[in-house]
Amino acid sequence: MDEKELLGQLATLREPAVLATIVSARGSTPRKTGARMLVGREGVIAGTVGGGCGEGEVIAAAEELFAGGPPRTVRVDLTDDFTTWSPAVCGGIMDVFIERANPERFDDS
Amino acid sequence: MNPSAAQVAARVLEALGRGERIYTAVVTGALDPALIGRRWWLSGRRHGGSLGSPALDEAVAAAVPALFPPRESRGALSRDFRYQDGDRAATATVYVELHGPPARMVIVGAGHIAIPLSRMAGMLGMRVEVLDDRTDFAAADRFPEAAGVRVIDFRDPFADMDLGPSDHVVLVTRGHSFDYECLVRLLRMSAPPGYIGMIGSRRRVRATHEQLVREGFTTDELSRVRAPVGLDLGGQTPAEIAVSVVAEIILFHAGGTGVPLVEKERVVERFFGDRGARHAAED
Repeated sequence: MDEKELLGQLATLREPAVLATIVSARGSTPRKTGARMLVGREGVIAGTVGGGCGEGEVIAAAEELFAGGPPRTVRVDLTDDFTTWSPAVCGGIMDVFIERANPERFDDS
Repeated sequence: MNPSAAQVAARVLEALGRGERIYTAVVTGALDPALIGRRWWLSGRRHGGSLGSPALDEAVAAAVPALFPPRESRGALSRDFRYQDGDRAATATVYVELHGPPARMVIVGAGHIAIPLSRMAGMLGMRVEVLDDRTDFAAADRFPEAAGVRVIDFRDPFADMDLGPSDHVVLVTRGHSFDYECLVRLLRMSAPPGYIGMIGSRRRVRATHEQLVREGFTTDELSRVRAPVGLDLGGQTPAEIAVSVVAEIILFHAGGTGVPLVEKERVVERFFGDRGARHAAED
């Protein structure tokens, strides 16, 4: 999905959603700084912060924000030893900022 | 009230619609948790929101123009900013994005190379304009991806185009006299396009350059022209040549080496050769 399309979706989103943005990336990461993902209560709505490599961690962290958690930076470490067969063998570290994309659409705010 | 990411996304789309650059910023790290998630944006003289402290807003506003190269239309990075919070010095981590109108590629010469080049530049997200003096070549239906197709007069090929440092011009005309006419105009601009490429054999490029030197241009000025344009991939067909041109443009912006990754990384040689085996064991 192209970036402008994702911005359009973000700007007009009706359902409450969490925005995850890669705010810094070091080493070998599948997506770079600036990549975005929108997560709804039911899961990913649009975009990606890297698929298998660390995205599950970000989605799990996004759920805390639906439960009232504060915006925060999630550090995703993809430098696992590749002999463990972990999916996180991309080789980099990224900081992903997660926040309520549209707090005005959340019931509790 | 703090503008939401959704509201700022709407401001970004408005700015792009007006063809303007916009910077957006959000606090992602600070001692005071109330600052985290505070947002601010700046587009020309318009701005909105706040990072939670006027001093921090000012520090970021002063820094952003230098954070991204002027020819880039997109950028994203995090920086720590120091600012004065009342009587104490404070630091906040701020994530800043730049959104600008898409880069433009002007293709001069609507022949067989222009067709794949226009498509590939479109795939890269560039705004493409194709120019030729032949009406049957400069036809919109030949270039469905192009934002504009113009019939021009080579005596003044870039009339009303307002070219600048963020633009890319690729000359693929049918003869070196046309290339020459274009280069004279481009090199005399007060702010020439950041990327000027010209296709041609060594002989054709030399002929054009000799003509420019006779006209009084310096070798410094000549070396601003990427001619022959493209990376040395060895391709021959129009599509292959277009790949080599867009590859050079990616290299120009992304700052890679242009070397095959297998040669740059040498994974087998470093970790699996006779000598590499030791390194692998040590790692």
